[in-house]
Amino acid sequence: MKLNKKIITVMSVVCSLFLVTVIYLTYFMLFEAKEISNSTYNQRIWAKEEKVLRGNIFDRNGVVLAESEQTEGRQKRKYPFGKLYAHTIGYNNRTYGKTNLELNFNDYLLKTESVIDVLKRDDSDKSLDKGANLELTFEHEMTKLASSLMEGSNGSVVAINPKTGEVYCMYSNPTFDPNEENLLKNWDELSAREDSAFVSRATQGRYAPGSTFKIVTAATAIESGFGNFSLTDSGSVKIGGHIFNNAGKKSYGNITMHEAIKYSSNVFFTSISQEFSKKSFEYMAKEFHITKKIPFDLDVKWSELDFDAMDNVEIASTAIGQGKLQLTPLNMALVSCAVANNGSIMKPYIVNRAYHEKGNTIYKAKPSVLSSPIKMNTAQQIKEYMISCVKGGTGTRAQVGGITVAGKTGTAENEKKGKTHAWFIGFAPAENPQIAICVMKEYSGSGGGSVCAPIASKIISHAYKTGLISAN
Amino acid sequence: MQEIISKILTYIFVIIIYLFIYVIIRMIFLDIHTMYRKKSGGFADAYLKLINLRQDLDFPVDESYEVSDNEVIGRGKKCDISIADRYLSTKHSRIFKSSGKFYLEDLESTNGTYLNGEELTDKAVELLDGDKITVGRINFLFVLPSKGE
Amino acid sequence: MEKRMLSIKPLFLLITANLLGMLIVIMNKDIQSENIVYLCALMCLINVIAYLVINLCALGDGYLFIIISMLSSIGIIMQTRINSDNGIRQMMLYLAGVFCYFITIIVYKVFHKYWNRLTLVYFGVSILSFILTALLGAVKNGSKNWIIIGGISIQPSEFIRILFVLSLAAVLTNGKFKKNKDQVEDKKMKRLRLGIVAIIAYINAFCLLLQREWGIAVLFFAIYLSYLFIYGDSKLFFSANIFAALSAGFIGVKFMSHIQVRVSTWLDPFADATGKGYQILQSMFAISAGGFAGSGIGHGAPYFIPIVSSDFIFSAICEEMGVLGGIAVLLLYFVLVYRGFKIALSSTNDFNKAVSIGLSVMLGVQTFIIVGGVVKLIPLTGITLPFISYGGSSMITTFIALGILQAISSMKGEVTDEIE
Repeated sequence: MKLNKKIITVMSVVCSLFLVTVIYLTYFMLFEAKEISNSTYNQRIWAKEEKVLRGNIFDRNGVVLAESEQTEGRQKRKYPFGKLYAHTIGYNNRTYGKTNLELNFNDYLLKTESVIDVLKRDDSDKSLDKGANLELTFEHEMTKLASSLMEGSNGSVVAINPKTGEVYCMYSNPTFDPNEENLLKNWDELSAREDSAFVSRATQGRYAPGSTFKIVTAATAIESGFGNFSLTDSGSVKIGGHIFNNAGKKSYGNITMHEAIKYSSNVFFTSISQEFSKKSFEYMAKEFHITKKIPFDLDVKWSELDFDAMDNVEIASTAIGQGKLQLTPLNMALVSCAVANNGSIMKPYIVNRAYHEKGNTIYKAKPSVLSSPIKMNTAQQIKEYMISCVKGGTGTRAQVGGITVAGKTGTAENEKKGKTHAWFIGFAPAENPQIAICVMKEYSGSGGGSVCAPIASKIISHAYKTGLISAN
Repeated sequence: MQEIISKILTYIFVIIIYLFIYVIIRMIFLDIHTMYRKKSGGFADAYLKLINLRQDLDFPVDESYEVSDNEVIGRGKKCDISIADRYLSTKHSRIFKSSGKFYLEDLESTNGTYLNGEELTDKAVELLDGDKITVGRINFLFVLPSKGE
Repeated sequence: MEKRMLSIKPLFLLITANLLGMLIVIMNKDIQSENIVYLCALMCLINVIAYLVINLCALGDGYLFIIISMLSSIGIIMQTRINSDNGIRQMMLYLAGVFCYFITIIVYKVFHKYWNRLTLVYFGVSILSFILTALLGAVKNGSKNWIIIGGISIQPSEFIRILFVLSLAAVLTNGKFKKNKDQVEDKKMKRLRLGIVAIIAYINAFCLLLQREWGIAVLFFAIYLSYLFIYGDSKLFFSANIFAALSAGFIGVKFMSHIQVRVSTWLDPFADATGKGYQILQSMFAISAGGFAGSGIGHGAPYFIPIVSSDFIFSAICEEMGVLGGIAVLLLYFVLVYRGFKIALSSTNDFNKAVSIGLSVMLGVQTFIIVGGVVKLIPLTGITLPFISYGGSSMITTFIALGILQAISSMKGEVTDEIE
């Protein structure tokens, strides 16, 4: 019957409305709920959080970096060292929400002991359950030192143990005080600042790496069989109609890769970039996680680079860390780690473990290999060159008495004329590397060898003196 | 402690609601199924399916008729398939089974029996699945479910 | 008459759910009144009696009532959990609703010959109550749609829903229009019929819009469109109406600030998170807090949600019983709506058929409008969730509506009466 057919059509429409609602609800729960419930407007979070005393955060030696106190029925998060850890630990307050580790490790900081422990406890005990504490890999004194060394300039210092991936220090300037009352007071001013104090340079800032990137170019060349490449460096070279000059148009004569790294020859590396294939360059960039996400306790930016679409000039520019290439200081620190650790990059981490006061650990970071971009021999070869760069090349100011430092300087041109970024990457002691470092000063206008290498030297020397690293 | 218990009880509560829905839907399904069986389908063996729209005919006729060994179609009340169509003879035609095959035969009806549009002569013709049988104003489809299953 | 199998399985599950639900609520709440226990027992008793009466006295469809009872039980449990006084009142409303349900069945069956002749009465009463609300109405939640009579506040728009369905069904199936010689309706008559339907629908919708009852206005329009689709042969007229609705909606969004606000908070509730987007955000937070399994009855935080006991009750269910609990509730409505349409399909009386279509569409679309609204699938319009939301008018009307469906399902044999 025609009428019944139409009724069935209407019924199908009405019933499909239910179906749509069910599908939407499921979709919402699977993909949107988490993000929405993290909103600062959600009083539920705070209601729930008030029931648990948030866990504290310590550095590797037990120095308190963040702690919660219960006052007048309300919790307060305190950061005793103010601006030192704003870009890594972040902040946690009702007005502005959570960031960085406070956000990414929120579940642990609020995780109370297991059900069984709770069941054992007397119900009349009204004291708050305590969330798990975090123990970081940071070394507080080193961070403090980095902060004082970076005073007055913007940039970042990253120090990592290349053997394990533990991050000893990660500091970015400019920074801000994450304590709630100061944040409230300064928020508008901070938001208005042109040099964006909220941006963590180490993980979120991307910069042209300049000559420090020659390490990656050298690695590609050696792995592609051009390790013995040599040429006569006359101070400039013309590639695809574009002239590349050495710094100060200096000519170094007949040089191999060794001298090229030692003195940072642009002629050598732009020329060698025309020898190996784009594919191998692209592969190396990916293996060094330059064009690939770095899994980390904090969010890290990475670059999208299409090597295939680059012409010879662009490849040559990329080979000396200019052109479209931009990467984070953390990324450059990992490049240094690869050379230091026989060609393998260990996955970097900040949170060593999360544990309850009574002692049971509920989270433990396990050192693991992130990638192995280069062979051991290649790493050894580049290491030699980097040692001689610090010994007698552009990086002499990174030297530390008593131990051998390997390194590479960089001075990167950018959109602001004359305001180059200064870089230094390196590691020490060269014979048995225990610390890899990346120092970057943005828009400093000076060379990496003169402004960044000394900072690296002081950090390494601090690590040596405090026993964090040993001479052999 | 209390929270855990009420959580578990809530799960049970929700599970009971789902069980309830399941039981209801199953009952509805069984209802429809029996109604469907009664009305039209479910024949293991061959059957005739009405092709005409029933509302076009001014006499009652079923949607389908089961065909077993020997079925006489006609206007007569004693016929196996009795339909009050004025254009049917009292005994109009016959479908019978012989050595596993079905045959259609005209019983000297006034208006004749048609198989796939062709009038039958005095000889019985074998029926195949999908054949169209016309008697009076009625069109039937002969359905012979394949035995393979 | 069909053979009836009496299965006590669903009844058993219903009673178990009732008792278990109440147990959880009482466990988590200091409830002073012991009335709640008696009332709960009475409710279970009524469940059993009503189920047996319907099934043994062959009062038609055997599923409607048991599903309604399950929905009401979930409603009562949630209401008691939020506010035990409301819970007790909701239980009494349920009992009153069941009473109305059976009265409706009897009245509808006894006077079945007259219902399709009362178009003018239905329409007149609707208009009268609109006027009364406008004159005497009290304002609640931004809408002037309450009349307070002798201390009891009544929401007339709830009752008008049924009158609306009855009036449209009466016009659509009225035999008078068929009164030419062939009993076949000629085109002119058909046009006249649809014209009257359109006039009734638009006047009702207009009055509702004046009262700012967006939700119910949309609901009316959905019922009207379904009728047009089923009974009107003219595709042109159907599309013209859809076009009219769309342009009205467009004008509303463009020029009427109330509708504008609703749409913009739907698109981006965070834009004014502490103001206009507050309600919907609280609802979203509640649903996400519950997850799939829920926080457990009594352990969520539904009091963060505004008007949680009526419009936003579904969010509270999702928070405490999980999205899986919410989906279970939706499935119950789904089966209920399906039964409604099934009754429409098997009804042999034209008027009854039309009425059951209207009531089924009403139930289905109303559920969708409010559930879709609180989960942010569609813009939010305040309307009650049938059988679960707290509120007398809504509860009683929905019971009456479903009572009519039940009555219709028991009158299968009836054929359309011809009016000479």
